[in-house]
Amino acid sequence: AGPTVIKMATLAPEGSSWHRVLLEMGEDWKKVSGGTVVLRIYPGGVAGDEDAMLRKMRVGQLQAAAITGMGLAFLDRSFYGLHVPMMYASDEEFDYVRDRLSPLLEQRLEEKGFVVLNWGDAGWVHFFAREAFTHPSEMKAMKLYIGAGDVPLTQLYKEAGFKPVPISVVDILPGLQTGLIDAFNATPLVALAFQWFALAPNMADLRWAPLTGATVIDKKAWERIPKEMRPKILEVSRDASRRLQREIRNLNEEAMKAMVKNGLKVTHVSPSAEAEWRKMVEDIHPQIRGKIIPADVFDEVRKFRDEYRATHGGAKASAR
Amino acid sequence: MTAAGEAMDAPAGSVPGGGARSFLDKIENAVSIFLLCGMAALPLAEVVGRKLWRTGIPGSTTFVQHATLWIGFLGGALAARDGRHLSLGRLSDRLPARFRGAGTCFFSAVSAAITLILAWAGVRMVLLERAGGSLLMPYLPGWVSQSVIPAGFGLIAWRLIRHSSPSWSGRAATGAGTAAAVVFLSSGLLLRPAPFAVSLILLLSAVVLGGPLFVGLGGLAVIFFLHADVPIASIPVEIYRLVTSPTLPTIPLFTFAGYLLTTGNVSRRLVRFFRALVGWMPGAIAVVTVLVCSFFTTFTGASGVTIIALGGILLPALLAERYPEKFSLGLLTASGSLGLLFPPCLPVILYAVVAGIAVDQMFLGGLLPGVLLVTIVAAWAVRGGKRAGTRRTPFSLGELGAAAWEAKWDLLLPVIVLLGIFGGFATMVEAASITVLYAFCVEVFVQRDIDLRRQFPEAGAESARLVGGFLILLAAATGLTGYLVDAGVPQAIFEWVRATIHSKYAFLLILNGFLLVVGCLMHIFSAIVVVVPIIAPLAAAFDIHPVHLGIIFLANLELGFLMPPVGMNLFLSAYRFDRSLGEVTRSVIPFLLILLLGVLAITYVPALSTILLPG
Ligand code: NA
Ligand code: NA
Repeated sequence: AGPTVIKMATLAPEGSSWHRVLLEMGEDWKKVSGGTVVLRIYPGGVAGDEDAMLRKMRVGQLQAAAITGMGLAFLDRSFYGLHVPMMYASDEEFDYVRDRLSPLLEQRLEEKGFVVLNWGDAGWVHFFAREAFTHPSEMKAMKLYIGAGDVPLTQLYKEAGFKPVPISVVDILPGLQTGLIDAFNATPLVALAFQWFALAPNMADLRWAPLTGATVIDKKAWERIPKEMRPKILEVSRDASRRLQREIRNLNEEAMKAMVKNGLKVTHVSPSAEAEWRKMVEDIHPQIRGKIIPADVFDEVRKFRDEYRATHGGAKASAR
Repeated sequence: MTAAGEAMDAPAGSVPGGGARSFLDKIENAVSIFLLCGMAALPLAEVVGRKLWRTGIPGSTTFVQHATLWIGFLGGALAARDGRHLSLGRLSDRLPARFRGAGTCFFSAVSAAITLILAWAGVRMVLLERAGGSLLMPYLPGWVSQSVIPAGFGLIAWRLIRHSSPSWSGRAATGAGTAAAVVFLSSGLLLRPAPFAVSLILLLSAVVLGGPLFVGLGGLAVIFFLHADVPIASIPVEIYRLVTSPTLPTIPLFTFAGYLLTTGNVSRRLVRFFRALVGWMPGAIAVVTVLVCSFFTTFTGASGVTIIALGGILLPALLAERYPEKFSLGLLTASGSLGLLFPPCLPVILYAVVAGIAVDQMFLGGLLPGVLLVTIVAAWAVRGGKRAGTRRTPFSLGELGAAAWEAKWDLLLPVIVLLGIFGGFATMVEAASITVLYAFCVEVFVQRDIDLRRQFPEAGAESARLVGGFLILLAAATGLTGYLVDAGVPQAIFEWVRATIHSKYAFLLILNGFLLVVGCLMHIFSAIVVVVPIIAPLAAAFDIHPVHLGIIFLANLELGFLMPPVGMNLFLSAYRFDRSLGEVTRSVIPFLLILLLGVLAITYVPALSTILLPG
């Protein structure tokens, strides 16, 4: 029989550093498996959006996907636990929580037939808007993009006092152009890549929420790989994600610089304004817990976060 | 190829079983009309709701996307019921009488077998989705909505068998043939080269003899996936993804609006107005046709609805001015995708998004090339008008005023749409449903041209049939695209180009040829998403400006809509005007040639695309 081919889809554009790291990872798989496991990558969303990738994994056309945590939330809402707004103050705090929560998340995915090969990082989500803003009240006055399809999440934004406009991703640019929406939130890399910032050239330096990613493989496909080879493949995959992590954090910084050069204005959010944002989110924690995120996961997230703050001296934001 | 060209036939007219007679027929019609109305009403409620209670209607976008899926498959079954699926032609009708029945049974059996396998693939997907357990919205699992895919294919297969023969013995023979073909295809034999080749030959013969075109495209997908040993449930997954994509609901909505407008007397009122306005110029109505079509395409995102929505108004207008029929058909078909480069046309935005270029840059770059293409066709139209010695009307201010007053509600429609979009009230889909509501109110309550009990359901059922026939074809083509992507075919082509082509001009020439084929075969949005990431780095290596590349890309796709044998405008035109594909193709050739000159100018004169760009 020929080599085992693992087809993997990702939204990462062809030639991007995420794609490059995945290609290197494929080379490593080939090396450690003696050429018996071959990774074939479909970059740039050619295999569809993340929900389509998961569906193709289910029917067996694809075996793996490098996907964001928001995509994984299609499989299990526990993944929203990693993306609670204003929960994390720094990269270190987030890493601490994710490292402790990941066994639980990996177990939930495994119950659904998916194995996590590695965890990645897509950067911090910030608000971008047509007008300058620093306080929550200013953002609440604007029409905010929200992805269509997640009904409870839209409801939650409404309860928090925002004016969410549920539309699809392709409507963001025309929406900003025509005033259907005034604001959106995204990582710097995405805001630059899709050129959304050009029409919403005001950003606040508020870290709203982290966005994580993971490489997952179909459990049946994983078990077709000989048992003794799996730990080696897992190891080189985790090495790849460590390389990617450094790369992504650099790239988001570079994206910020590129946007500022092209007219993005960044306003500073003072500690008192930041406290307003935090209070607003904390006021609706009862609605998030249980409705959006399973209660046990939400409690774990808060426990680990507080644990980190207790052992590492408070919610001090790391230097940017 | 001449034989096949000669054999290209109009969609078969009404066949036994056509018309809404049985109880099932009535239910099917009613559900389609209900869905169309729901699709039109919900985005409107969303627009209003957003003003009143800030978030609009929870889940309305999801509903509208899935209603498109249902309309597509129910309409596809309606089209099969009424014998309205497009085919290359019925070569079997030209066989000697004693073979005719056998020929029809053969192509029907192969078609039914392919359709049944597509239905089975749909069942597989639905079962796996059900096990996965994802919800579309609270209490509504995704698999419930997806079930319409296998149900629709199953119903189409049954109707293909039923229509294969007037006698039950003939139908039994087709049924037996279908069973044999299903067994052969699903036996695993296709993994080997010889049975694989045989299956391709059988499929080709069935399509040439008269099988529906969607069977040809979907059959290729089925056979290739089976040969490559990739699960065929991938095909419905791909179909589901495409048919529920966010902008696709504009197609059924604008189609419905178009049928409402054409059932009313809009065409008479508009023609009177435009004749009063510019009828004194030679070729004026043709120029008006070009401008109105470009304008409409700009708003409907080159989704192909221009011909459907405006064709019924403009063709009689052209004929009334004594334009030759062939010229008018060609002009309307060619004008169906003009205007694709102007703001706020969706493909331009999507291109900019995928290629990572600022949208306003793309629109600036597209301005002169867009004007060039429109001017070329308009000039040709004036020339045609002069040669045909079309009628000219003396100008009268009084008549202009009277005509404008009579057509005031119709003339207001684009204003409403523009306000909706540029006023920041509505998305494209919402603007489409505003158009439906507006057309409905004007035709039913103001002009009273449409009778609610008789003509309104007729317009709804006709829209569903047309959209269904079209979406099933698109779905089948998507399945095939899915295979090509899975097999890495686009990448392989460009690896080859990278290795063999070294001159910029040779690259541009090959790019033109390739994009024409892409534009002819692929849905424009899939083409952008699949092809752009591959060619952008190649073009950068040849030092081609990214905006220029984008304009070349879109201009070629615009031309691809007209490209025989399977350019989308040709099908839409054949559908809308009830002409044969061969007739439409012949009428469009002069326009194809002059537009080709325009596209070559756009390709080899980069300044057209880059001179307006700042810096
Ligand atoms: Na996609
Ligand atoms: Na299209």
